[in-house]
Amino acid sequence: MIKFNINDTEVEVEPGCTVLEAARQYGIEIPTLCYHESVAPSGACRLCMVELKDGNWSKLVASCIYPAAEGINIYTETERVHNVRKWLFEMLLSKCPGSNEIKEMASKYGVTSTQFPIENTDEKCMLCGLCTRVCEEVVGLSAISIVDRGVHKKIGSPFLVPSDVCVACGCCVTICPTGAMSARIDAVRRTPDVTLTPLAL
Amino acid sequence: MNEISKTGVFLCKCGKKIEPLVDLPALEKKLTAESNIIYCETLPYPCLTPGLNHIISKIRENNLNRLVIAGCEGRLMLKKFEKALISEGFNKGQIDVVNLRDHVANVSDITPEEKSDKGAKLIKAAVAEMEVFTPCDQETVNMDAPPVIVGGGIASFSAAKELSRQGIDSLLSLEETDTDSILNNVCKFFPGERPNYSRLEKLIKEVKNSSHVTIIPKSKLSKVSGITGIYSLSFTVDNEPDIQKYEASTIITCIDRELSAPEKKFGYDGATVLCQTDFEDIVWNKLIPKGNTVFWINDYESDQGKFAQLSARSAWVTGKHMMEKSQDSKVVILYNEQMPLPLSAQERALSRKLGLSLISYDKSIKPVLQTDYINFGTVNDRLEHELPWDRIILSPVHKTDKKTIETGRILGLVYAENDFLNTDHVRVRPEMIGHKETYFAGSAFYPCNLETALSQGRKAGRKNGELVKKAQGGKLFPPRFVSFIDPDKCVSCGQCQALCDCNAISIADGDGAISPRIVDPMLCTGGGTCAAACPYQAITIKNNTNEQRETRAASLSNQMADDEFVTFACSWSALPAADNAGVRNLKYDHKGHIIGVPCVGLIDASVMAKAFVEGAPGVLIVGCVPEDCHHSFGVDHAWSRINLMKKLFSLCGFERQRIAFAHSDLNRPEEFANTMGSFSKTVASLGPIENTPENKAKLKSIYRLVKYNSRIRLLLSAGLRRPWETTYKGDQEYTLAYDREDFTEALKEELIKARLEEIFVTEKRSFNIKELKETLSEDSLIEQLDELDLEGVITHSYKEGIPFYTLCN
Repeated sequence: MIKFNINDTEVEVEPGCTVLEAARQYGIEIPTLCYHESVAPSGACRLCMVELKDGNWSKLVASCIYPAAEGINIYTETERVHNVRKWLFEMLLSKCPGSNEIKEMASKYGVTSTQFPIENTDEKCMLCGLCTRVCEEVVGLSAISIVDRGVHKKIGSPFLVPSDVCVACGCCVTICPTGAMSARIDAVRRTPDVTLTPLAL
Repeated sequence: MNEISKTGVFLCKCGKKIEPLVDLPALEKKLTAESNIIYCETLPYPCLTPGLNHIISKIRENNLNRLVIAGCEGRLMLKKFEKALISEGFNKGQIDVVNLRDHVANVSDITPEEKSDKGAKLIKAAVAEMEVFTPCDQETVNMDAPPVIVGGGIASFSAAKELSRQGIDSLLSLEETDTDSILNNVCKFFPGERPNYSRLEKLIKEVKNSSHVTIIPKSKLSKVSGITGIYSLSFTVDNEPDIQKYEASTIITCIDRELSAPEKKFGYDGATVLCQTDFEDIVWNKLIPKGNTVFWINDYESDQGKFAQLSARSAWVTGKHMMEKSQDSKVVILYNEQMPLPLSAQERALSRKLGLSLISYDKSIKPVLQTDYINFGTVNDRLEHELPWDRIILSPVHKTDKKTIETGRILGLVYAENDFLNTDHVRVRPEMIGHKETYFAGSAFYPCNLETALSQGRKAGRKNGELVKKAQGGKLFPPRFVSFIDPDKCVSCGQCQALCDCNAISIADGDGAISPRIVDPMLCTGGGTCAAACPYQAITIKNNTNEQRETRAASLSNQMADDEFVTFACSWSALPAADNAGVRNLKYDHKGHIIGVPCVGLIDASVMAKAFVEGAPGVLIVGCVPEDCHHSFGVDHAWSRINLMKKLFSLCGFERQRIAFAHSDLNRPEEFANTMGSFSKTVASLGPIENTPENKAKLKSIYRLVKYNSRIRLLLSAGLRRPWETTYKGDQEYTLAYDREDFTEALKEELIKARLEEIFVTEKRSFNIKELKETLSEDSLIEQLDELDLEGVITHSYKEGIPFYTLCN
């Protein structure tokens, strides 16, 4: 068993746990967006940042992928953490202003507006890739992926045409933390082909 | 594996998503009081590492062998639990996830106490199902026999070579074994491939000399039976009266379709207006013709635009050969502007050097043939030009030929009119993806040239080799949820085979009329409409039986209040819609309790009847939108079964509206919420079915009828939509007449019989006819009693000249 501190309270977990898992086990709340229990964590959204303090020295780590270690001191509600959360929410609000989920979460943490320019007021996707991970890890397919690079990055099927690989299970829609996938799945799933003819004798 | 079930229940707090909304301590208390729940505990997050470790320790402590986790979406979470607990001996089916968050906590405004009640009902029903569930042993697929390659397509050779490279023995059926004849025939399937013949010749020789390949010469496939791993194939061999039989583990089918000559409307005459396939033979084997040769790539004009590039490529190869070898030959390739020319920069440069012209024509002005000249309009200016010709070479026509259809029929493949051979459309398991490339190669399956056909063959060989090696290592497992046909109960009626959309059911061996059907577990998708359709209850879905569903529905119905109802939700449409409704915090009526099913097509009418017997005032079944069903026509089949229930309800004097069908789409949770609301109103307006002995007896007779009456079950199955039917039966002529005169009449007769039988079974004494008539308020019963007597259900004896009927022992 590993013993360490979260917010000066001692917690105890099995080896192999992450800081986030330990915090959740003890009912300590850390906001997350790109984290889902059914898939491996990826640390994409950085919303789960916590502060790791060691004497005078401290650093910010993403709790969903930071492994719990003996004797570390984790703080989830320090000024540095609050600051980074605020900026992250502002960036998210500018990138995906159409998402009610993000709006609600941001206002819960006291962020209601953004200083960054808003490009597309309807955009909901924050490109965390949770949908592509669930497709690969849970469904066992890779019907959707992150297409293109850099600022052109988007989520979709290869070549952005309805895919034969997609089985239309809807896992991506259910798992999407910002409600963006429901507008995209119709461009990915394909109606099953039912015009079959038996071979005549 | 058949030990007594010991079920543990773990409730999830899910941070603040479940805990404050549902009274979890009360729920835990209720569940702990249940005798069939060995252990119950609330955890902050059962799905995270600490939670999983805790569950494992509790499993060991209490020797649990079934698990129900009440948390969020089973669709997402189940795999993680299955993966984590497989080391504890938990197989697929032994863990169930009840969606407490999205089906209970998030979707209604009732109090936490009421929500804990609703949660308890759902969990208890899941536990009841676990109690009757007997996990089947994990089977493995044996592949001791060699793979066989049939069809005789050119890809056979690359598949055989790949298999022998992997050190796997294979059987290769060939109609033509002489290398030169094979090479000469290639142009009938793949024109313009002459430059590659030397390499092809090498490949063929290599395969012929390989010690791993056993060639069945001059053979033609005549019959296939068996399932993956143990196929038995019959071949007819030229000049031999006897049929040769071979055993095989897998079948790789390589078929190329033979190209045919173009239609007369393009001027085809076989002399001066030729087809590429004829012309190639002349150019390479005879003299290169002098004068003007025009290759007209007329694929777009003959409605096969997707083959234009293949035709253009082969035309270019032949044209290039002519220009290189003969000074007196002039070649022009005339092609439709819609088509990108499949030539590289070097090849274009070579064309210029040789003087081979490539001319594109305007797609709206069709080229016209006249004596010595062909007219066409150039792109952009649409000016008509004339080209002189001595011979016109047209593109070959790609059509599924008779031989291909014949082989396809033997293998049970299907095809869309004038299109490629296909297996099926069901794509419900990830394992099904890549299925084609393991077993099929050749131009009968995809548009391809020689190179692609050979590489497909290689791929099929490689994937098949992997499969065989996996099986030989004992690591090839069929899926857990597949149909199984009990050969002792099967009467060979063939209904299941006709209804199966995954080509998984075949005749075990011999004559179809007497031989039982058999399921190939590697092909079965577990859609289960076959099990619900079997008139004789011979089919069960392994690890997901009808009994399990009946028990779950019964348990839920038992606990329900008078205005609540059971909702069966298809896991491809309604269940995700319900999950998404929860994720989006949509509020809807809480009175419907959701049970997820893999496809609504597997809900036997007996499950619906059972729910009513156990006191449900209503049953709602929510499936996919028609034509969107993942199992072809599970939706249509469910419709027919619901219709049967409605008819029976009418006959018994119950309201037909108590059972309803709805359609849902996973991306429209708001519609699902409306469905639940509307049906809840219907149920509320109807009230419960009055709990009188008469009504109970009627409902029990309905259950008896739909479950055990083979005549009705057969009539129902025969009317179900077949996988190949493009239109629903309901559209067809005479259907109403059939429904009214045959089906409904038969139902009336059989219902009376079922009610009589129910009386005998419950009362356990003898009756005279007068008593029976009064109980059922029927005028005439003698025919029905005689029939029951003949069937051996009841027997009669005389007391003072009056017949008295009793149940047979």
